[in-house]
Amino acid sequence: MDAVLLQVSDWQFIFNNWQFLALGVVVTIMLTVTSLTLGFALGFPAGAIEVYGDGWLASVSNTAGVILRGTPIVVLVVLFFFALPIPRLGTVPVIDLQLNAFIAATLALGLRSAAYQAQVFRGAIQSVDSGQMEAARSVGLSKIQSIRHVIFPQAVRRSLPGFQNEFTIVLKDTSVAFAIGLAELLTRAEQLYLQPGRDTAVIEVIITISAIYFVLTFTTNRALDYVHSQYAIPGGTE
Amino acid sequence: MSLLRLENVDKSYGNEPVLHDVSFDMERQSVEVIVGPSGSGKSTLLRCVNRLTEINGGEIYLDGDEIHSVDENELRRRVGMVFQGFNLFTHLTARDNITLGLREVLGASKDEADAKADDYLDRVGLADQADSYPAELSGGQKQRVGIARALAMDPELILFDEPTSALDPELIGEVLAVMEDLAEEGMTMLCVTHEMGFARSAASTVTFLDDGRLVERGPPEQLFENPEHDRTRAFLGELNGLNNE
Repeated sequence: MDAVLLQVSDWQFIFNNWQFLALGVVVTIMLTVTSLTLGFALGFPAGAIEVYGDGWLASVSNTAGVILRGTPIVVLVVLFFFALPIPRLGTVPVIDLQLNAFIAATLALGLRSAAYQAQVFRGAIQSVDSGQMEAARSVGLSKIQSIRHVIFPQAVRRSLPGFQNEFTIVLKDTSVAFAIGLAELLTRAEQLYLQPGRDTAVIEVIITISAIYFVLTFTTNRALDYVHSQYAIPGGTE
Repeated sequence: MSLLRLENVDKSYGNEPVLHDVSFDMERQSVEVIVGPSGSGKSTLLRCVNRLTEINGGEIYLDGDEIHSVDENELRRRVGMVFQGFNLFTHLTARDNITLGLREVLGASKDEADAKADDYLDRVGLADQADSYPAELSGGQKQRVGIARALAMDPELILFDEPTSALDPELIGEVLAVMEDLAEEGMTMLCVTHEMGFARSAASTVTFLDDGRLVERGPPEQLFENPEHDRTRAFLGELNGLNNE
């Protein structure tokens, strides 16, 4: 590329289109939230099932996890978009959100995240000392009560660092929805530099959205650090 | 009727036999101390009583009820347990370690449970630590919370599984003092411990367990001064040697 890098006019172009990119940020955040929510809703029980469940439920969960973790996320997104019978639900105006693409991306990112979150929770549950369960049972709590009041509160705290990691990964991986044309941040970035005569702005646009991704991950990580510190057990867990 | 009765109890882990044909009776308000070398099955014996582990043969009766005829959660409410490693709920304050069982098992309201917890913390000398978390307490304080947690459920019997073995020597006394008070107040206690001083002062009966068998049983003065069996004598001799070091 012989274009002069980092031209003032290209930055001016990006600045003039900030609203166009901002709508991409909105979609990126929406997709992150729906995917993580789905991932949590399925991953948390799956982690518990892998520890406490027996028989077919645990093996179904385990097998699904192995498949989801072993498939590239772009493949999942494309597969879900083209293979699942998701009805054409139209497009949300203003943010130009194609609903069936959004659903396919949420399912792909959410299920993949569930597979990873299940591992995070399973590890956290198993890291709670077995004496905690014994003590709870010895007081007369049932197994379910013990899990709910003694094991989970400790396991959820321990899983926060792993969840934080997962949050960052899902946020950045929303960019694979680019492959199915969902108007998230990366897709909109491409739409900008593909405008006639704007191929000089490719690097500037990419640098801009990289900075936006960084700011999003950095601020959410700081927020989660704060949550973690608020719920930390005084004196640690020994 | 005796409060606790073991009849020909057998227990093995896989092919590894742990308890053979153990039988004894404990009266209400008595303090039974079980001594024996490590690996002799002492802790397993306690865990069979509250069904943290299941026996393979024989019967155990609590106040006339065969323990398998009682709901296991109900059984455990009636039989408290104090652990070597304390096992306090690390995410709960000292008070809430006690209120959890009161509220979830006995259905007490929050106010009732808090008041009862504070009362029991006061009894073990920890009224000022109600809001402390386990990691903020010393070992001796943790164990006293552990005792208060067991006591608050108003059990018929408390099992003590080497309650002082994980403590620094200077902290053992405060826990034994609480246990001695309980014994004096008439709590029925089944204790695995190497604290011979406690056994002498508080025990009604001492049982010597070796290799999963009940070798000898009697009042502390008899067992300590005039043991019938050579194995008992040898074990007590070793223990005295250690205590006098």
